[in-house]
Parts: sequence; structure tokens; C-alpha cells
Amino acid sequence: MNALLEELKGRQGELYHLQTRTLPVEFRSGKLESIKSKELEGVALRVIDNGRLGFGTTTNVKDGHGLVDAALATAAFGEKASLAFPAQDDFPSVDTYDQAIVELSERDLVELGEDLIARLERASSEVDINLSINKVVETVKITNTSGLDAKEERTSILLSVDIEKAREGDIFLLFEEAQASYLNELQVDRIANNLIQQLRWGERIVPTPSRSLPVVFSPAGAICLLLPLVVGFNGKSVFMGTSPLRGRIGETAFSTDLSIADDGTIPHGLRSSSFDDEGIPTAHTPLVSNGVIKRFVYDLRAAALAGVEPTGNGSRSGFRSLPKVGMTNVTISTGTHSQDEIIAELDEGILVDSVLGLGQGNIISGQFSNNVAVAFKIEHGKIVGRVKNTMIAGNAYALLKESLIGLGNERRCVHGMLNTPTIAVDGVNVVGQVK
Amino acid sequence: MKEKELLLQALAGSNADYTEIRIERELRNQVQFQKDKLENLESSSEFGGIVRCLKNGGWGIAVLNDISQLQQKIEEGERMAHLVGEHSSEAAALAEVPVVQETVHAELERDFRDVSLGEKKELIASYNRILLSYGKRVVSTNARYTDSFREVTLANSEGTFIVQQVPDITLLLVAVASAGKTNIEQGFESLGSAAGFEFVLGREEEATNAAKRAVDLLSARSVDGGRYTVILDPGLAGVFIHEAFGHGCEADFLFKNEQMAKIMTVGKRFGNSELNVIDDGYIPGLRGNIPYDDEGVARAKTYLIKNGILSSLLHSRETAKKMGAIPTGNARAVSYEYEPIVRMTNTYIDVGVHSFDEMLAGTDKGIYAVKAYGGQTMFEQFTFSAAYAYEIVNGELGEMLKDVVLTGNVFETLRDIDMIGDDKELYGGSGGCGKGGQSPLPVTDGSPHVRISNVMIGGK
Repeated sequence: MNALLEELKGRQGELYHLQTRTLPVEFRSGKLESIKSKELEGVALRVIDNGRLGFGTTTNVKDGHGLVDAALATAAFGEKASLAFPAQDDFPSVDTYDQAIVELSERDLVELGEDLIARLERASSEVDINLSINKVVETVKITNTSGLDAKEERTSILLSVDIEKAREGDIFLLFEEAQASYLNELQVDRIANNLIQQLRWGERIVPTPSRSLPVVFSPAGAICLLLPLVVGFNGKSVFMGTSPLRGRIGETAFSTDLSIADDGTIPHGLRSSSFDDEGIPTAHTPLVSNGVIKRFVYDLRAAALAGVEPTGNGSRSGFRSLPKVGMTNVTISTGTHSQDEIIAELDEGILVDSVLGLGQGNIISGQFSNNVAVAFKIEHGKIVGRVKNTMIAGNAYALLKESLIGLGNERRCVHGMLNTPTIAVDGVNVVGQVK
Repeated sequence: MKEKELLLQALAGSNADYTEIRIERELRNQVQFQKDKLENLESSSEFGGIVRCLKNGGWGIAVLNDISQLQQKIEEGERMAHLVGEHSSEAAALAEVPVVQETVHAELERDFRDVSLGEKKELIASYNRILLSYGKRVVSTNARYTDSFREVTLANSEGTFIVQQVPDITLLLVAVASAGKTNIEQGFESLGSAAGFEFVLGREEEATNAAKRAVDLLSARSVDGGRYTVILDPGLAGVFIHEAFGHGCEADFLFKNEQMAKIMTVGKRFGNSELNVIDDGYIPGLRGNIPYDDEGVARAKTYLIKNGILSSLLHSRETAKKMGAIPTGNARAVSYEYEPIVRMTNTYIDVGVHSFDEMLAGTDKGIYAVKAYGGQTMFEQFTFSAAYAYEIVNGELGEMLKDVVLTGNVFETLRDIDMIGDDKELYGGSGGCGKGGQSPLPVTDGSPHVRISNVMIGGK
């Protein structure tokens, strides 16, 4: 057993050990600005002492005593422990490690960034480009007093670009990012093509009317509809009574075209892993099948409270935080048409790629009301220009039940955890610019 | 070897044009209740450091947890700085600032490090009970306490050596109320300060207010979208001035961008002559305080807008050098994991002459928007959600409204401020500011009540 766990002298405990190496490379206004090498290591300890839970974290991985003392001190006043740490299990075999990412040097990353900037500058003049590219290599180790001894190495690469085009009285800001666990899956071309197309679409600003309209959410924009669901399907929210989906398993709460799964086992998926941050095997969990609510997702503690099995959704944000219920790869069913074909069917509508103030309203209820950030006007099946100072409002639950008019035929990984196609809904309340 | 000698020796060994080392120790506690459960009780400690090297105009940065790696990290920083310098035609340089050698101790009325975990837990449990017992409609709560005590040491190759103690304490009280499956509302109080444990004592009334507001919102009406005259309370006006305007004054986003720099030219008029906006690095007890910033530059009281005219931007040493300005002490890093970037401290609209009653009396039809759920800006475009609001009819407050989201163009909106109150308040909040992946940075913002004509409100 781990030496630190032995210091617990027969008490139950769990040690989460994270080593992270990152190499962010930053370009500002088209020019290389900085390179940063970051090596972080930290441990988190959960203990159960006299039936009560304690928690502490430290970066001083050599001082086991200090960490044990801190965690035991909190256990003296801790919550009555409802959970038990899991024993060793058979983990699904999930690929999470790409040697090609490990071998990328800072020079490689600089060249990748320079190439993309040159390409964008060739395509459009008078743009200001900020770009950042980062590789991540991390090693997770979880050991506990029930005998678990799990270790996994994970890699990823993240490329993000923002472009700003300033003209008299108007600033157009565009943002794109691509992320992959494997280097050859990083969609650099898609980023470049999307940005170039959106710059072209954005050359003209067109007015929007104030009334109910169809809205086509691009995969990146679909988070506007899906964020409330990420909260709603959280087993903890369900147990606490704050999810509007509580007590509704078996109910047709969504359009029958819609199926949603949480899947931590997708090969090369951004949030895929063999085990979650508590050492539970990851899984494919159906949340919605043809509109019917199937299951919610749980970590160890929420599962113990609710009296159900954990679903492999214990998630920590680094070594500093307690595990919480977190989605892995939220996968949305696809339809039969491409985004362009969906747009071609519409007489009038708006294509939304991003909004301002995402999630800042009452998202529990599904309500959203956002100013669009990057959005375009659709007229007679075509994009005719960019819209600005335009609010879109609606209720995600209501729209995904009553007003779904199309799902795209191609999924994209966006915002780290969504694996979604374009989602088109009708009846979104639009408030356009008055003047 | 003593730590100071270790740092000085490492600096002496660097071949970069400029080298800085910042190391940090932190002790922190957290107590969190949700509904009837103790969600987290935590005691943590942290140590880490960051090295920043400037060579041939390029920045190389290295982060560590293990101080024995310091020498190696400086070499790594130098090597990367050299690579950046080689690849970039844009050479960074630093404005000159005085060399400082000083130790800044935190002065706390009741040091939270001396308060037992048991006492912290009992206090938060008592607030949680108030939230939960408000009524049957309160279905869940979130009562969270955090404290953090950091000791940050900054040493650079110019001879600056500063040790600063940075205390931070926060309290968040949230009630979630429900009436039927899709009618769910929240009420919250969010408090933060660079103070001792006394700051979180006696907050029973805030707990009651949070619960009452959640329940009241269940029967509030959703606002109808459209354009309104709006009165912002000091909390929401503070978030507005921070988010919508303050970020635009941070010189790091425009110092290499001529178009943006043109829009934010000092001397331009941004509002009526009653409008004054200030960023002040030190007001006793406030959460955004930094006696010295993370480049060792002393705090300043900077007028962003004076009598309606843009009077200064916020600078780091690098942006000040490039733009021919004086560093303002606004280069801040959220922790040792990050390099300093230009950030606000305590930011507010200064008092005007109008009473709240005067503002109301002159408003036939409008909205009184109170506190912010959150906000976001994309340079000129901003959006904020009010925590709650009231309609104003014929100069009087009417029924409660919800789902009030304010949006618009910041330059137009600043010009449309037609009354500034005489009743300024400043709030630390329990969250903080996010920028460039660095979040949450402790800041304070505030304002008097302000009235703005012609604000776009998105409703249901």
C-alpha cells in the first residue's frame, strides 16, 4: 500500500495524485509573445475517521504527515460518511495517451501557430489575431485503503484563436477552438475554414426583426440549449431537488428525435478515461432515448445518498477540489441533414455560433436570454450577413420538446465535453436592434 | 540556505535581460453546506513558484512546485525567452520603476487562521439553517465559507524584494426555491473581503434576505423584452463598470492593436461631466487591495474617467513602456501558476449628486435592476443578468420582475447615463474576476445608483 495511506493506521482513506505538464504558447496581435513551461504536482486525501469524512490537499507531496494531520483535523467535524471507497475493478480499455503529443517541442508548437496565423492573414486583411496553443500531459494515480491502485497517463492538445476585425463603429470578434487527445485529430483546417467563412459572412451587418424565429445553433452554439441539461441530469441536483427532471424517469420530456448519452469510454474522446476521478470504471450511460428520460449520472457520494450505483462520473478540477458529479462526453444523436441543408430549408432565421453571458441566467429552469456574440441572418435558405445587438430567449426544455426542427448529420467536440451536431429549433423569441 | 539567499543566488545566476521570481505559500479552509448536508470541510496548503525571463524581447515562463528546481527553471525560462525573441519582431520592454524592498504584513482584527474548524463549521451551519427554515418552498441551499492566507515573495533582477501577506475571506449564501417542476428560482448574498473572521459574523439578515428573495421570485413576473429607462443599484452598476468598461481600459489587450488603441484614446469623451470612474489599489479592508502588484509596482488611485473624459488606462510595466505611459500597479496574477497580466483592483463609479428618490420620481416607465447574477463583455458589447428587479410606474416601484437581462453597447450606454446617485457602495463578492484563464481574482467593484436611458432588456 501507498506509504501515506499506511499513516492512516487502519482508517479508510483515498489518495488522488496528479502530475500535470503543460506548455502554453501565446501569440498576441499575430506575433509570438511567450512560452511557458508548467509542471504541477499535488495530492488530495480523503479520510474516514470515526465514521466522518475529512479532506485536505497539498503540493508538498513529500510531507505525508502534514497532509494526514490536516485531513484528520477536518474529519473531527466532518460529515457522517455515506460512501465507501471502491476496490480494484476491471477498467474498460480506453486510449488516452498519444506519444506524438508528448514529443511535441515548444518549437513545434510555435510553428503550428505561425502557420495558422499566416493562413488567416492571407485570407483576410486588417484582422488582429490572438492565438494560443497548449499541450497537456498528465498522470493520474488513485489509491485507496480498499485496495484500489489505478494509474493512467493522458494527453491533449488545445488550439484557440480569436480574431478581431475593427471598423468605424463596429468590432467583430470571432472565436474558434479545437481540442484533441491525439495530435492527428486536431482539426486545424476546420478552425481555419470556419474563421475564414465567418469573416466573409460578417462583412455585412443586417437588421433583425423582433419576433419569434427559427434558430439554428451550430455545434459550438448548441451549448446554449444543452447547458441546462448538463445541470438537470446531474444526479446530485436530482437528489437535492433542484433539477426539474427529478422523478421523471420514463417520461417523454424531449422530442422523440433526440437521444443523449454520457459516454466516458469514447475512443480518443476528450473526457474519456478508463476510470473516473474516484476510481470507478467509466461507462456509456443513456440519459435520453428517443425523447424518454432514462438515467442520471452520479459520483460515489451522490450515488450513496440517492441509493443508486455510481456511473463513473466523479470529476475533479485538478487536485485541489473534492470530486463532484461531472459529465464526461455528452453525446447528442444526429439527424440526416448537414447544417447547410438545414439552413437551406429556412425562409427566415438566425444561425447562432456563440452568445454572450452563457449560463448567467436561471439555467436550472432551462431559461436562457442572451445577446448573440457571433450570429448570422438566414433569408431564403442563405446566410445574408451578421446580426448584432440581438437577444435570443427561450426555454431549452420547452424548445427541445416542442420545437426541434432538425439535428445535423455531423457531430463536433466543443467546449470540452459536448459531442453535438447542429441543433435547429423553432419559436425562439428574438429581440432585434431597434434603430 | 535561507529562502531569500536562495532567490538572490538564483537571480544572480540568470543570463536573461530581466528575471523575476515569485513564490507563494497558501493556507486555506473551506466549509460548505448544501441542503442539510455538509458538502465540504477542507484544510489545504500550497507552495509554488513562477520564474519569468525576458531575453531579446521575448518572454519565457516556468512554473514549479519544488523549490529545489529553481535553478533549472530559470534556465528553462531563459531558453524559451530566447526562442520567442528569435521568432518575434515585436520586442517586449519594461517601463522603469523604483526598486522596492519591503515587507507588508496583513493586519486582521481576528485572524481566521486562529479560529477553529469547529467554530467555522458551526457558524456556516447556523446560516444554512436560516436559509433552510425560511419556508417549505426552499428546496436546497448552498452556504459556503472560504478563507485563504497567502504569503507572496517577489524578487527581480533589478533588486526589488517584496514580501506581502494577502488575506481573503468569503461567504456565499444561496437559497433555491421551487414551486412545481420548472418554476425554480435562486436568491443569494455574496460577500468577500481582505479582512479577518469578524467579516463573516452577524450575517443572519443576509441569509434571511437570500431565502426570502428566492421564494419571492417564484411569483415574480418575467420581464417583457424591449427598451427601458433603467436604474441600476450599486451592486449591478459596479459589475457593469467593471465588466463593460473596466476591462476595456486594461492596456494589455490593446497595446499591440492600433485599431483598439484608437478607440480607447486618452482624452476622448465617454460620458457626461458628472461621470468619474476610478480604480484604486488600496482602500482599507477591500478585497481588491494590492499594496504592490505582482511586478513590484506600488498601488495607485487611477482615474479611468474624469469628468466624462477618458483619463488613463490600466498598465503593466510592459504596456506602459510600449504606450509611453506610467505603470499603474495593475499587473496581477491569480496565483504562482500564472504570470501577471493587467487587471483591475477596486473599481467604482464615484458619487454624483442625485438621490435615489429623485431618479425614481423622474421615471414614468422603467425598471429598477438589482444585483448581478453574472456578466460578460466582448469589448463594446456587454450583457448582465440582474438577480431581481422591479418595474417602475409613474415614479414608483411596482411589482417584482425576473429574467431581466441587460445588454448593449458600452459606449452608447455610458453616454446614456443621465443621473448618478449620492449613495456609493462597494462590494467584494465571494467570486472574483476571470481573464486569460486566471480566475477567480479577488476584486471589488461598486457605484452609487445610476440611471440609464434606453437600455435593451431581453425577456422571455
